[in-house]
Amino acid sequence: MTIRKLVGAAAAVATLAVMALPAASQASEKAAATPRYPDGVVRFDRMPNEKGYWDNPTAVSLVEEGVRVEMDKNGKLRNLADAKKVAPFQPWALALYEYRQKNNFADDPMKVCIGPGNPRMMHTPGGLRIIQDRNYERAYLLFGAGNHGWRTIYMDGREPPNPEEVTLTFYGLSVGKMQGDALVAESIGFNTRFWFSNGGLPHTEALHLTERITRPSHDVLHYEVTINDPRTYTRPWKASWDFHWVSGDVPTQFCEDGRK
Amino acid sequence: MRALLAAVLLAAAALANAQEGYPLDGTWRGEHPAAGGGTSTVVIVFEWDGQKLNGVVNPGPEQFQVTNVELIPDGWKVKIAAKSKTGQAISYDAVLSDIGKYDRHLNGTWTEGGTKYNVRMTREH
Repeated sequence: MTIRKLVGAAAAVATLAVMALPAASQASEKAAATPRYPDGVVRFDRMPNEKGYWDNPTAVSLVEEGVRVEMDKNGKLRNLADAKKVAPFQPWALALYEYRQKNNFADDPMKVCIGPGNPRMMHTPGGLRIIQDRNYERAYLLFGAGNHGWRTIYMDGREPPNPEEVTLTFYGLSVGKMQGDALVAESIGFNTRFWFSNGGLPHTEALHLTERITRPSHDVLHYEVTINDPRTYTRPWKASWDFHWVSGDVPTQFCEDGRK
Repeated sequence: MRALLAAVLLAAAALANAQEGYPLDGTWRGEHPAAGGGTSTVVIVFEWDGQKLNGVVNPGPEQFQVTNVELIPDGWKVKIAAKSKTGQAISYDAVLSDIGKYDRHLNGTWTEGGTKYNVRMTREH
């Protein structure tokens, strides 16, 4: 190969590389951008012809924002002395949390296939989708974990219900609205037949959750929850974590044998 | 039929393991020997409001309020004081057990009018 040919080949490669750069950059930007509906509202689920869901939550349990404690994947503390840092417990609630931690969650309702409830399902791996039904002004949260349950957030502008008139459930009754790019939901009406967090944090029927869900990029969902249960905690407190976008469909799994 | 039986057993197991928040919340039932022989049933309904635990003994026409009740998380001790309709002082010093079960228990000494009984109370479903 002559020098002239070598120079020619190098120039061609360089030209191709320069041409490819903007395309790659555009593709990367497209992948990173937060998907939106034509009117600009953030889309929390798939784009048309796309397959994917949210999973791999970055938290294993509820822990007050700003607190760092080490836990295993089930929410068991590496050091039980850290228990009081996890949340602003009332004395009885701290004692119950420590009790559950010490006996290795032997009484965890999920061991007999009782669903995780809210917000435990939000840090239980297994897949999550957030379907925005804009015709009926609702959002549906579909879970792969637990018993493949789902919950509804009413987005039609209705007022939160009177707590005295709500049938108590595992997911509570949720009303929400878009605040800028955030889906904000208020939930009340929880029963106490479940642990509302991995690790065994207690709650009562007075539990009130404020959830704020944002999608800062295509691949990241940020979840923030404020826990207000004055019968269990001394003040409202907040926890937050991220989910990551996973290609494919939510895995199908059901708790069937009563031992999971 | 076998599937139905399995479903019923699973549901029963789930109920037996169901949880609650505040450990004393709910209806408790126990018995102690009655003055004229036999047994006398005691029912207490507790409700935790976040600051104070309220209790009613034997709800109905003969009910009376618990005047003081304390749950001491260290050792899960429970101390109850009340005054019966006839004005007799009543106390119940017990220990909470089976905390992780829905039908948990209180075991302790019921003192009424100077007489002491061992009373085991069970929280009802």
